[in-house]
Formats: sequence, structure tokens, C-alpha cells
Amino acid sequence: MNDLTASSFAPLSDQQHGEAIARPSLSYWQDAWNRLRANKRALVSLYIIIGLMLFTVFGPVVWPIDPAIQDIDQISQPPGTDRTAILVSDYEPWFGTPGLPGTGLRLAERATSQAVRLQWDALDGANGHRLYRNLFPIGPELSYGIPMAEFLNNDTLYFEDRLDLQPGRFYYVVVALDERGLTTDRYQFISVDIDRVTTLAEALERGLIDESDSVQIGDAIALALHPLGTDYLGRDLLARLMAGARVSLFIGIGAPFLFVLFGVVYGSAAGFMGGRVDQLMMRFADFVVALPFLLFMILFKIAFGIGPGESGVFPMLVALVVLLWPSTARLVRGQILQIREQGYIRASQLLGAGTPYLIMRHMIPNTLGVILVTVTFAIPSAIFTEAFLSFIGMGVAPPTPSWGSMSNEGIKTMLTTPHELFFPALFISVTVLAFNLLGDGLRDALDARMRNVE
Amino acid sequence: MWLYILKRALQGIITVWFIATATFFAMHNVPGDPLTNDRAMTETTRANLESKYGLDQPITTQYLIFLRNLSRGDFGISFVQENREVNDIIREHFPVSAILGVLAVVFAAIGGVLFGALTALYRNRLPDYLIMFLVILGISVPSFVVAALGQLSLVSLNTLMGFTVLPVAGWGTVMHMLVPALVLGLSTMAYLTRLMRSSMLEVTSSDYVRTAKSKGVPPTRIFTRHQLRNAILPVVTVLGPAIAAITTGGFVVELVFAIPGLGRYFVEAVQQLDYTVIMGTTVFYGAFLVFMVILVDVVYGFIDPRVRLDL
Amino acid sequence: MTAGKENVDSGIPLLTVENLQVEFDTYGGTVQAVRGVSFSVDQRQTLAIVGESGCGKSVTVQSIMGLIPTPPGRITAGSARLRGHETLGRSTVGGKQIRGAEIGMIFQDPMTSLNPTMTIGDQIAEPLQVHRGYSASDAFTEAIRLIELCKIPEAAKRARQYPFEFSGGMLQRAMIAMVLSCKPSVLIADEPTTALDVTIQAQILDLMQELQKETGMAIILITHDLGVVARMADEVAVMYAGKVVEYGSADDVFYHSAHPYTVGLKEAMPMNDPARQHVLKPIDGSPPDLFAPPAGCGYCPRCPYAMQICSERQPQGHNLHGHHFASCWLHHAKSGRKPETIFFKDAR
Ligand SMILES: Nc1ncnc2c1ncn2[C@@H]1O[C@H](COP(=O)(O)OP(=O)(O)O)[C@@H](O)[C@H]1O
Ligand code: SF4
Ligand SMILES: [Mg+2]
Repeated sequence: MNDLTASSFAPLSDQQHGEAIARPSLSYWQDAWNRLRANKRALVSLYIIIGLMLFTVFGPVVWPIDPAIQDIDQISQPPGTDRTAILVSDYEPWFGTPGLPGTGLRLAERATSQAVRLQWDALDGANGHRLYRNLFPIGPELSYGIPMAEFLNNDTLYFEDRLDLQPGRFYYVVVALDERGLTTDRYQFISVDIDRVTTLAEALERGLIDESDSVQIGDAIALALHPLGTDYLGRDLLARLMAGARVSLFIGIGAPFLFVLFGVVYGSAAGFMGGRVDQLMMRFADFVVALPFLLFMILFKIAFGIGPGESGVFPMLVALVVLLWPSTARLVRGQILQIREQGYIRASQLLGAGTPYLIMRHMIPNTLGVILVTVTFAIPSAIFTEAFLSFIGMGVAPPTPSWGSMSNEGIKTMLTTPHELFFPALFISVTVLAFNLLGDGLRDALDARMRNVE
Repeated sequence: MWLYILKRALQGIITVWFIATATFFAMHNVPGDPLTNDRAMTETTRANLESKYGLDQPITTQYLIFLRNLSRGDFGISFVQENREVNDIIREHFPVSAILGVLAVVFAAIGGVLFGALTALYRNRLPDYLIMFLVILGISVPSFVVAALGQLSLVSLNTLMGFTVLPVAGWGTVMHMLVPALVLGLSTMAYLTRLMRSSMLEVTSSDYVRTAKSKGVPPTRIFTRHQLRNAILPVVTVLGPAIAAITTGGFVVELVFAIPGLGRYFVEAVQQLDYTVIMGTTVFYGAFLVFMVILVDVVYGFIDPRVRLDL
Repeated sequence: MTAGKENVDSGIPLLTVENLQVEFDTYGGTVQAVRGVSFSVDQRQTLAIVGESGCGKSVTVQSIMGLIPTPPGRITAGSARLRGHETLGRSTVGGKQIRGAEIGMIFQDPMTSLNPTMTIGDQIAEPLQVHRGYSASDAFTEAIRLIELCKIPEAAKRARQYPFEFSGGMLQRAMIAMVLSCKPSVLIADEPTTALDVTIQAQILDLMQELQKETGMAIILITHDLGVVARMADEVAVMYAGKVVEYGSADDVFYHSAHPYTVGLKEAMPMNDPARQHVLKPIDGSPPDLFAPPAGCGYCPRCPYAMQICSERQPQGHNLHGHHFASCWLHHAKSGRKPETIFFKDAR
């Protein structure tokens, strides 16, 4: 205390005083933006959404593959890079190899996507055999797979499979038949790994090589690249996801913007006019709300009809707008009534401001936050609706891809080639997740009640 | 109270009329005449339909006929299946959907309240993070993917065990119902969990819970006597829309699990453009949903004293 | 208003709070809501805590009750002793529950402070069931008696009603009935009348005084209405930015105010005393940000008497006469100005 001097007790100057009183104050939007930036989940979601937009818009530039082109060498291929096919000589018929070494069900030569040549010895007490092919080993239910051939005597003990062969592992089962041609419980099975091959003629035809290339039997020929694999028609999944993103995001973002816009116009009209008109308008909105949403989406889709060559994107957009506007209209009307009551408007009306000006000056800033949050939450539900409708076959018409229709196709081959379902489903889920989290973040950031807490 | 119920019921009937009207005009906007479609239709069906709906008469007459039939509870005859009444179709397939739906709503409500309360109690701790992660997943993954995953896990389970623990598809026993109902209720459960969590948190930081604490009421009693009931109220108010979501979500689950419910039948009718079935089921579903919402509101009135005494 | 300052049994005050410090962790940082608060209160006495909202009054009393939500809250130092026994971090003293049984509390907003889905009677009966082991029906009967005691007409009917059927004043009476059910030795009232009409305010305050006379309980009354202080208080603690800046008997604090903030408060309050009519002068500015408490006196930016030292160092506490205490550099020996000479020259 001894260091205290008389000057310590001199009055504080006005300027020092002023500095001490002033505090930085942030505008509403700056404040909200700071809040949003502090929310890691929302920020990451925002980046994901920006990434998705880039993927949709610039993806086709980087990966200019036609999503409709079929690559019949690679059907339902999982993701992978640099696949090759071995060049083989042209196909020649085969009728068993006499004196083939080994016993039981066995391969006569290397199994290729051209042909799988199987030979076996007659099973004990068999009066004939039936041959099955399967993608799975024999399960607990003794499911052998698809019957491929049946021989009602023991003369033919070989079989050549040329049906729809894909590189990968197949399981073949030969089952002994009794004298009446019924299956017995005696069987043998073999697992076969099939290599992808191609002939010179095929390779030329598909443009994998050209005349000038010097290639020999046994050479490996590179096939077209499909980073995310192909679908059941051999179409490039990445290209289709990009094309599908255009449809899904167009509907997902376009519809909410349109119905919110319509809702804002309708709601502010009702709010401003007030009285009878307001009552009537809002009663109508109540009825529209009561319509069961998905059923009427379906109904409207039918009512619009899809002509040949149309994708059905536009009818879906219209149906979404027709059914979803009332919630925004209610919200905006409520806000406007509230603002009117608070007397902002009356004060400015006294100063002679016109109605459009009033809307610009007072409504928009006061309501924009809520509307922004509404749009953000409406996007995932619109994307879901598109996916749902496409899934039950009422959405976007093939061949136009959308994430929903791709999932619908993928689900049929879910057990054998899960990637065809996985990627579109992943894109839907990540997009919906990102918009949901961003919506949460925005709501928290814009919620004025929370401004001084936390 | 009774007056209130009566008023709501009247409102409900007007709403159903609106739904029916919208359905009628939407369907009449369909391009082409339903009877001159290239669809194979026998002479008997055609004759039946023409006389019954006055299809050669102006649209207002047709509308009046439609309304008259509707008021008698007659939804008409299928266009595709000869001489099959839509009422029969509904009577046959709706109970299946209803059982599935009720089971799903029960799963969703119990699960939502339970998990929501749990996350709020363990706020910002491991159970909260874990459940909320699953909830976010449940909200973000489309229903058909959940259904596919459900089926996939059933297949794996059966393969793993070496026998059929639970059937992968079909209908008939309780065993057939469990997984589809769970799958169907899942996204609603996720939604209710979120709602219950925020409602619980709000109640937990409410003034009256603070009052209860200041009275020295032990935590378990605060939870049961003060928090639970108040926190459940908002959950009850959204049960109506939740039932609607589950009903339409049933379409997908019924398709994927091959369940012979009305939803699957509706989707098939849509794909075959079976007009009367589409109109009939739409109006039926619409009426069902409207009255479920009213029912939920009335039940809410019994739970919340503020509303109960107001009615 | 007889300031009966008699230590009845043991010579120690009924409730003593010393150097209480409370923090909250928030996204914006740590808020030091209470920064070393001390006071004491005795049987049959009323202590008023006054100060602007946000200065830490509620946090102080809620700490004593163990009502601070933890996290985000944290009591970092200090003690609160009831009859010499520590209460912080404990739920019982001498085998008796602190909350509800030893200390009762009523809150500012009676509308939200009662459970909306439970009848008033049940809520009043609840402490009896919890602390006294009453059966549900006995507790309810007793609740009706308590409602009568708090002058609510038609008690039996009222007990079966829900909070939304009550007016604000009636609800606050019900709150008081609830708190009194277990005869606490201390009643904490956190702005009990702020939300009520003026006429109702007076009735509630009368009721509290009457009940204090009957039961001999101590009352800690939080308010920012100096009129209420003048009417009720024996002792006054003036809080600012998480600290007690002036403390003393009601007469001392009112008529010999020793802190610029107290003076500012008085000038900002309408007084019912016609002899002292004056122009209302609100205090400019707002309290300091408790995220980063100032190095010097928290009141410095708003204080008309601020000196160089005030912005640099925390003022020390100065005992004036008796137990009157103020924390302001003006009282320092080296300060050239004496408060008595600048505040209310008419006072003495
Ligand atoms: N739960 C909480 N979380 C964060 N900060 C809090 C919390 N409760 C109180 N505070 C902080 O403590 C300070 C004092 O609050 P309080 O005691 O309620 O003031 P009052 O004097 O008006 O009763 C406030 O400024 C607030 O920032
Ligand atoms: S210490 Fe200085 S700034 Fe603080 S109240 Fe006293 S005179 Fe004013
Ligand atoms: Mg307070």
C-alpha cells in the first residue's frame, strides 16, 4: 500500500471513463455467423454441402463419362481400379475331355468368363444328374442354387456353362437323380474362380484395342475404368451418381425454395389483409395441411402423368410445392401479426412508408432467420420424399437417374453386389445428415433467445 | 368435453370431404379416359363401371355419384380385378397394416420416451453421445435402406445360427412382425427421442423442478413425479403426425418384407393405375389419419389439466 | 421493524456465509458470477440482498441450497454454515435435510415455479411426505390447513386445483404455504414480489412478516426494490458484479450510505418519502463482463467518483463504525475525499 501516491487518487479523466463504458456490439447476423462458426458440426456440414454442390456441378467436367453408356464387360462390378481381361482365342465347342485326370466334379480347363467346362464321375447309384450353379456355398437349407442342366442317364458326365458369367467365385453342385428323376441326397460340389477373358474380335469391337496394337493371346487388356463400379446394366456408378445428384438436389433444394417463396407471399398477403380474407385464406391452408402428404404426392404424380421421354422431375416439384406451402404461410402470417402488434409498422406508416418498403424494412429481417431455418430443414425432407417416391416406382422415370431410383435398383441385388445400393444410399444419408445438422446449427445460431446465454 | 369432441369430429368430417374432393379431381385430371386405356378389361367390368359411375355423364354428376357412394361407405369396384370391391380389399388388407402400424407406434413411443429420457439424464456423457449418434443416423438414413438392412441382418442371423431364427419375409406369426415393425418404427423413434430429449432438458432446467429440488424432494421422485409427465406432453402432441408417418412408411416396409398389407396393395394399384382402388384407399387413409389426429388430441386433453379443464 | 440482534442459543449466528465464490463454465468462457461474498443472518432477522439483475444474488443463495447446476456451475471457495455446521456440498446438517426442512426457498415467478400438471395441494403436501413421513392423505389434509394459514379462501377446493387456475398472488401464497410446511429455520425469498402487482406485493410481504413473527425464522430477502428493503430489512447487503460492496444495518446503509453504487441505487429508485423527493437518476452503462473481471473496481466505469487507482486495483473492505462495511477506495486513508462529504450532505 505504500506505493500509493496522491496521483493514484486523482479523478479519472472523461476519456478514460468513456473507454471503460463502451463495449463492442455485434450485429444480429454477424453474431449468428460467429455462433455458427463455433459449432463444429454445423460447419463441417456446410463444407459437405458445398462439396456436394461442387461434385454435382463440376463432377461431370472431371469425369465426363456418359451415365447411360453400358459396359457389358463389366456388369455389377464392385468399385476397383485397372481391371484387365486376358485375350483368348475364339470360342470353340467342347463335348467333354475323355480321360481327364482327377475324380469327382472337376474343371476340364481354366474357368473363364467365356465358358466354364465341368466334368464329373457318375455318383453312387445315380440314374442321372442335375447340375446347379450358385453364388453362395450350400447353406443350412441345402439350397443348391439355379438348376443349369439335367441328364436323365449316366451317358453325359460333362457340362459347359456359358450363361451370363461374371468374374468372381461361383459354386457348382452336381446332384444324383433316382430312377424317377427325383433328386437324392447324394451330391458333390466345387467352387470355381472365373477369370475375365475377351477375344480379339470382341476387344476390337468394344474399342479396348485398335487395329494397330500388337497383342497376342494371353496378353492382359485394360478395361474401362469405373472407380465406384458399375450397376446391373454396366453403367458407370460415379457418372450416374453425379447425374442423380443433379436430379435429387434440384428437387431437394428447388422445391423448398419454391414452396417457401409461395408460403411467404401467401402468408404475408393474409397477414396484411387481415380480417375475413385472412380467416378464409388460413382456413384453406388448414385443409391443405390435412391432406395426407405422401398419398397426395403419389396422386398428383399420377394426375400429371409422365409422357414418353419425360423424366417426371417437374411434376414432382409442382406436387411438393402444392402440398408443402401452408406451414411457411402460417409461420410468416404469425410473424407479421406479431410484428404488427408490436407497432413497428404503425410507427413507420405514420412516416408515410409504402407497404413494399415496410415488408423490406421490417418483415424480412425479422422473419428471414426463421425462414432460412425452415428451408434448411425442408431440404432433407424433400430429398427423402424424392427417394421414397422413386423407390416405390412413382418418382423419376428411368433412365434418368436419381439417388432414389438408383437405390431402388440397387436393393434388388443387395445380397450379391451391395455397392449398387450402398453408394446412392450413402449419398442420400450424408446429404440429409448435413442439411439436418446445418439446420440445427442455424436454428441455434439465429435463436435470439439464446443470444446472451451460453 | 363432449362438445369439444363433437366439434372436432365435425371438423374431421369436413376435412375428409376436402380430401375426397381433392382426390376425385386429381384422379379426373389423369390423362386419358380410364376405360379406353389399353388395359385388358372385360365387358362385364366395363358395363358395371359405366353404369355405376355414370362415366358418360358430366363431371359434376360423376362427382355427386362419387360423394353419394362415399357417404354410404362404398368405395366402388376395382378396375383391374374383376368384380372385386374396394371395401373387400380394404377389409382384407388393412388389418395387417394396422397391426404392423400399432406395433411400430408402440415401439417408437416407448423407445423414444425411454431413450430420450436416458440421453437427457446422461447429458453430454457417453450414453447421450451414443444414442444421439444413432438417432441422427436413424433420421438421415432413408426408410427403404433401413428396411433393406433389417432384412440383410435377418439373412445373416439365420445363416449364422444355421436355422431360421426369424423369417426374412412374409406374414402370419408374431415372428414375422417383430423386425418389420421395428424397422418401421425406427425413424419415428429417432424423431421422438430427439423431441423427448429436448423436452426433458427443458423440464430439467425449469423453475418448477428447481422448486422441487429446493423442497428436498429426492431425485428419483422428482423424475417420476415432476419431470416425466411434463416432458411427455410434447411427445404426445406429435403422436398424430407420427402415426401418419408410420402409416405411409408402411408402404416401403410392406414392399421390402413382402407383407400383404394395404400399403403394398396401394402401391401395386398405383403401378397398375387401378383408379377406384387408388381413390378408395386414399380417402380411407385420409379419413383414418384425420381421426387418429383427433383421437390423439382428445387423449392429450385427458393428460394435460390445462387443456382438460379448458374443454 | 425492531433490529433484535440477539444471538439466542450459542452466540454464533444462525447462518453464516464466508468468502463464497462461484463460477460457471460457458461456451464464451468462465463466468465468475460470485466473487467472495460474506454475510450472516440470525433468527427473527431479515437480511436484504439488493443489486441490479445479473450481479449474482440468485447464484449466492442457490449455492447455499445446493441448487447450482453442476456442471456448468462450480463453487470454488468459501463456506456456508448453519448453526456452525457446513452446508456447502452437503444435503443434511445434524440429521436434518437442508433443503426443504432447514432452509426453504420461494422464487421470483410463481407462475413457472409450480409444476403445471400437479395439484396445488399435492405440491404443498410433498415436503411433508418427504421430510416428515406423512401419508399422502394426512399430508393433503395438512396442506389444506397451510393454505388456510396463508389466507387463501376456499382452501379445500383450492387444494385440488392446478397452478394455471390461480392468480400470481395466490400462487405466491401457495409457495409460501409449501415452504412453511416443514417449519424451516431460514426462508430465502428470491425477488418474491417482483412479478406481482403493487397491492399484492404488500400483502405478500405482510404475510411473510407475520409468519416470521410466529415461527421465528430468519429471512433472506432478495430484491432490487429499495422500498421493499426499507419496509422489511434489519440488515442490508448491497451486491455489485458478484461482490458485496456495502453491508450493514438497514439504517446505516440507507442513511449513511458509504458506497457510490448504493448512492446511485437510491437516486435511481422512487421513494415513498415525500420529504425526500428527488429527480430519478438512472445509473448509466451496464455492469462489467464477468467473463474477464476488471483489474480494479467493477463499478469504476460508471462511478462518478472514480479515481486513477480505481481502474487499477481492487478496493479493500473498510469497516466503518459497528459492522457497517464498504468496499471503496474513497475510504482509503490516503484518499483526499471523504464519502460523508460528497454523498448526501443533508444526511447527517
Ligand atoms: N446456469 C448458468 N450458466 C451460466 N451462467 C450463469 C448461470 N446462472 C447464472 N449465471 C451467471 O451468473 C450471473 C449472476 O446471475 P444471478 O445470480 O441469477 O443474477 P441475479 O442477481 O439477477 O439473481 C449472471 O450474470 C449469469 O451470467
Ligand atoms: S472504488 Fe472507486 S470506482 Fe469503485 S466505487 Fe469506489 S470510488 Fe467508485
Ligand atoms: Mg435472480
